[in-house]
Amino acid sequence: MRESKLNGLLFFLGLLIVWELLAQGGLINPLIVPPLSRIFRVFSDLVWSGQIPLQVAASMKRAAAGYVMAALVFIPLGILMGLSQTVYRLFEVIVEMLRPVPPPVMIPVAMLFFGLEDEMKIFVIFFSCAWPILLNTLDGARHVDRVLLNTARTFGLSQWRIIWNVILPAASPQIVTGLKVSLPITLILVVISEMVGSTDGIGYFILDSQRRFRVAQMYAGMLTLAILGYTLNQLFNLLYKLVMPWHVGLMRMKDGA
Amino acid sequence: MNVGKAFNWPGWIAFALVLLIWEFGSRNNPALQPYLPPVSRIFSSLGELILSGRIVSHLMITLSRFLQSYLFAASIAVILGTVLGYFRLAHNLFEAVIEFLRPMPSVAIIPVAVLLLGISDAMIIAVTVYASLWPVLINTIDGVRHLERTLIDTGRTFGLNRRKILWLVVLPAAAPYIITGLRISLSIALILVTTAEMIAGSKGLGFFILDEERSMNSGNMYAGVILVSALGYLLNRLFVLGEGWAMNWRRGMLAREAL
Repeated sequence: MRESKLNGLLFFLGLLIVWELLAQGGLINPLIVPPLSRIFRVFSDLVWSGQIPLQVAASMKRAAAGYVMAALVFIPLGILMGLSQTVYRLFEVIVEMLRPVPPPVMIPVAMLFFGLEDEMKIFVIFFSCAWPILLNTLDGARHVDRVLLNTARTFGLSQWRIIWNVILPAASPQIVTGLKVSLPITLILVVISEMVGSTDGIGYFILDSQRRFRVAQMYAGMLTLAILGYTLNQLFNLLYKLVMPWHVGLMRMKDGA
Repeated sequence: MNVGKAFNWPGWIAFALVLLIWEFGSRNNPALQPYLPPVSRIFSSLGELILSGRIVSHLMITLSRFLQSYLFAASIAVILGTVLGYFRLAHNLFEAVIEFLRPMPSVAIIPVAVLLLGISDAMIIAVTVYASLWPVLINTIDGVRHLERTLIDTGRTFGLNRRKILWLVVLPAAAPYIITGLRISLSIALILVTTAEMIAGSKGLGFFILDEERSMNSGNMYAGVILVSALGYLLNRLFVLGEGWAMNWRRGMLAREAL
């Protein structure tokens, strides 16, 4: 198992060395694919000069705002729709009508209202995270074990406490799934919306570098994005283990059974 | 609507109410109209655009780009995924490469594609192929790897050669995974085509929508949004239908197992 991982890494390293040699030897056009060493040098220069951190901060601010807003609106709505058939039926048609809209298509719509401001990106992210969060939460809340609910009622818990102490924990696996699925979507949409209409942020940075033919800088931006995507995912897993340690154990138990 | 499920009156009334508020809110508020024209005007724009054929050409371009990329990506990904799933050595070698490339948002390669291929059909197709490759690839690998060894051994015992094992055992067993990947890729492909058209296109629905926004023709812009969404919805429906037809044998098999 360990050895196979090592082989993969060595192979990956080999590919990178081939890239470097081909580019150094002039076998591939350095204007399109510069040597790897140059990309890394440019990357580290941009990191230390504060240029990349600045762009990442701008992007992350928007991403966080849209993501958190979507969670705050659509988790409660999902729980309501999961619990009450009336609420579900009221919103069902509206949701089904909005859901097929491909999220990037909302960028021009948001630009109409907000111009190139931060609000434009935040709205687009909010919209695109809505469905995974809403539908997963709804599914979780709807399939809460009846026995749990009836037990809570028998003990005379108020409706509010039932939601807080029974339904929310019971639906949390699906809520976590929804939030996790939304994470890469958030990153994708912040990049797209910055490419289409922005003056800063990592998406703008990459496209702008390409337009000025600063090719190494463009690849450095892509490297940043790959690192960012990986880090966000790891951060999410870490946070999940910290906030819901009981849940990690529960899932492992279920896997084992 | 599912058959046997009652018509959702409250839902449709709520939806109609939203449209009515939109319609009359916009009519009584001329200042709002550049942003939010009345629904009726959006639909009349859509009708005009279709009748004049102006939007139809954009639609056809988007659709053809979508189909070319999707079919191409699907065939490559299934072949590659089967190889990577079946041969442990190949999987070991490429695992790290895949793990590194996967977290990067695929839209980030649009600038690279523009650099390589210029602003062209080929660029848009290349980007879309790259993005929609992933779900099919990962799912195919998973499906082939999680195959029960007994199945393959049984096939061998019956004297099937490698090619027959692949066609008669491996691919059918991995089919549910592959189909999940294909369905995810369907929406990704449409998203990527429209995105690439917005960022670096001169034709297609993505370009049309952004262009109409920039010329402040919000009615036309909304008409474009409706058309893209309808296209996405129809493609998805078609896929589900095709899936039901193609996977009929499996339902029968599961039913027999349940007995």
